[in-house]
Amino acid sequence: MPSMDAISRGLVLDSLKEYAKRRLPYDLIRDLDHANEFPAEILKEMYDPAVLGVHLLMIPEEYGGVSGGTYDIYRVCEALARIDLGIATGVFATFLGTDPINVGGTQEQKNKWLNKIAKENLMVAYAATEADAGSDLINLRTRAEHVVKNGKVAGYRITGNKQWISNGGVADLYTVLAMAPGGPSWFIVERNMEGFAPNKHEDKHGIRLSNTAALALDSVYVPAENLIGLEEGKGLLQAQAVFGYTRLMVAAFGLGAGWEALEQAIRYSQQRIQAGGPLSDKQGYTHKLIVPHAARLEAARAYIEYTANRLDGGEHGLQTEGAIAKYSATENGNKAAEDAIQALGGYGYTRDFPVEKIKRDIKITCIYEGTSEIMEMTIYRGRWQEHLKSRGRWYLDMADEMDKLHASVHDCGAYAAGLALRALAAVMEECRLQKLTRHQHVTFKLGRLIALAETAACFARAAAPGKYPDSVRFDAGVYKALSRVYAREAALALSVEGLALVLGASDNSSGLSAAMNMPAVQEAQKGLIADMDLAAAGLKTTFKAK
Amino acid sequence: MNIVVCVKQVPDSTEVKINPETGHLIRAGVPSIINPYDHAALENALKLKKTYGGRVTLISMGPPQARSVVQMGLALGADEGVLLSDMAFAGSDTWSTSYALAKGIAKIGKTDAIFCGMQAIDGDTAQTGPGIAQQLGIPQVTFCEHVDIDGKNFIARRHIDGGHEIVEARPPVLFTILVPKEFSPRCPSFPEIHGSVKKPYHVWTADDIGAEKHYLGLKGSPTQVSRIYPPPQREKAEMFSGSAHEAAEHILAIMRKGQFIAE
Repeated sequence: MPSMDAISRGLVLDSLKEYAKRRLPYDLIRDLDHANEFPAEILKEMYDPAVLGVHLLMIPEEYGGVSGGTYDIYRVCEALARIDLGIATGVFATFLGTDPINVGGTQEQKNKWLNKIAKENLMVAYAATEADAGSDLINLRTRAEHVVKNGKVAGYRITGNKQWISNGGVADLYTVLAMAPGGPSWFIVERNMEGFAPNKHEDKHGIRLSNTAALALDSVYVPAENLIGLEEGKGLLQAQAVFGYTRLMVAAFGLGAGWEALEQAIRYSQQRIQAGGPLSDKQGYTHKLIVPHAARLEAARAYIEYTANRLDGGEHGLQTEGAIAKYSATENGNKAAEDAIQALGGYGYTRDFPVEKIKRDIKITCIYEGTSEIMEMTIYRGRWQEHLKSRGRWYLDMADEMDKLHASVHDCGAYAAGLALRALAAVMEECRLQKLTRHQHVTFKLGRLIALAETAACFARAAAPGKYPDSVRFDAGVYKALSRVYAREAALALSVEGLALVLGASDNSSGLSAAMNMPAVQEAQKGLIADMDLAAAGLKTTFKAK
Repeated sequence: MNIVVCVKQVPDSTEVKINPETGHLIRAGVPSIINPYDHAALENALKLKKTYGGRVTLISMGPPQARSVVQMGLALGADEGVLLSDMAFAGSDTWSTSYALAKGIAKIGKTDAIFCGMQAIDGDTAQTGPGIAQQLGIPQVTFCEHVDIDGKNFIARRHIDGGHEIVEARPPVLFTILVPKEFSPRCPSFPEIHGSVKKPYHVWTADDIGAEKHYLGLKGSPTQVSRIYPPPQREKAEMFSGSAHEAAEHILAIMRKGQFIAE
């Protein structure tokens, strides 16, 4: 779906922030977190179209929704994550639960169910995961058996157990993945159906405002018209079709929660005086705990926006891109939150300050909707194919593009990003020649390196124009400095880690070091401290102490 | 009744800082909001529409991004929006702004009442509303806490020192409106924002409203701002308790010590 216009999107974000300011002060969130309590009233209010109608964002206009595009949903998810990741998950679960109907439903099913979700403000849950089936859904054990009447399949009896279902205990409607005689298939299950029973709300490490429960289905009768798409065996395809899109939402969670923690650290650092000056003026603090995280998170943002715009432009799938976005934003968000605790010292370690909760909450983004390790594997698989198909040109072409960009915009980080991409191309080619991808560790590590190089290139592209969308809160000088900091980090990591990877898996890596152009990577590190100084000053101006 | 509400986009004053060296507002990264007084005026107009029917039209003047406040008003329930946007308007003072808005309102057509916020939180002049009434040659009722309709007339509760007065006015009339004490501004919901895009919205230039250019912009403005500066920071007040007599003695002692009065 195409995005909203920028003004409408701005108003949507303003309304959401204003609602949170009034109804979700941190004291309330902290108490709910402590009590492990799902704020049902708040969620119902957020779904109320007279108040916010947040669930309508996912639903096309013709079914009573507001037809938000991927870019809009990313911005809303980021804003939700800044409020509370548990509440964000409560909203996301409805988005996710609605997806199988959106993607695979017949026209009649969409008419019936999407209209119902929109009009009745239904909370939805997406029930795929089982104890022994997470990203490996093919192992699913929940069964859907035919109920035949008058020689026709009149319905199904579903039996099995689902695990870790967000909104599991509180949803009105469930989309449940079960093995039908024709293969994995999605079914619409209503809460009041006989034999359906949610279990207790889990006692989790974080996102404690999100209801998570197991589901027990004991011969639950579902009419045949509740089989999504009215065709068995399409379930896994339907699930995979939206990964590019749904993983982008979780990426936005990592971005939002990570930035929220980092912003709190930046504001705090201007008030805490140590050894005669504020922490915000000390490199030992800013260049370790603040600036690298800001650069990594903005790189992730650039990649999220790039992917969202492609999806809104009509491209489908983009599973590798969705995985890169999720991996980059959630891993970097998690690390930023970890260092935000460090940045606040003893205060950060108490529950009086939100960074402690954000750190507990954000960890889930590296786990749900595919763990970081599944992301590494997905990224490797997708791009390895491109490397082979292009006979090693995939990243060399991208590096050429960076060199061209550097020729016209010399300060956007394109030069170092190009070095990172060339190093990546060399490592991948060496892995092909020496058949190193027989080691699983090599493949997963390649996933990490690919994400690093591609996000550096994407950040350089985003920083080049000098005028940015309103999601970027920095002027060109600071934003470009952040891109350069990140591109240098990517180039260095690619060459050092890439070389170590090949050396660790084989005895022979002759020529790799030269192909990586190590002297140029080293030379490119010049100016790093000056750029970090510039970025630290810019962050202080942007996020002033309150 | 047809009501026109004037709205202005202003920087969120809680976030605004002034560069002490240049005297300029630091606008970078400062969010823009609807002027809270205008928001109160809009809510008053929408309440009248809900109770008695009629039509609410918004008018604003500003750069293209000021569309945001007009669209927000449309999302909250107004029927039509107008933005006066033209480089010719840039730098207009309150007189020129009143002139342009009056021309715009005249183009909108039959108007029974014009609702303005009492003042804007960025300039704090409280001159634009009354200026529009003067330009249009219609009566004005300022400092209104609330405006209602009684038959064919408007009834305003007007704030005055130490109390209030009730004023009845025949249309056409202009009201400037205060922010009520317990005012909790509404935010539009997602579907309301989505629906607002389909409402009639017009961007009018100086030519569109038939404004004479020499009355517009910095050059057409009879007043000019020479400098903006933050007020000096006040020192912390000293608080003391005791009887009125003791307090007076204490204050006298401080004034003598500071040589504000003779010993």
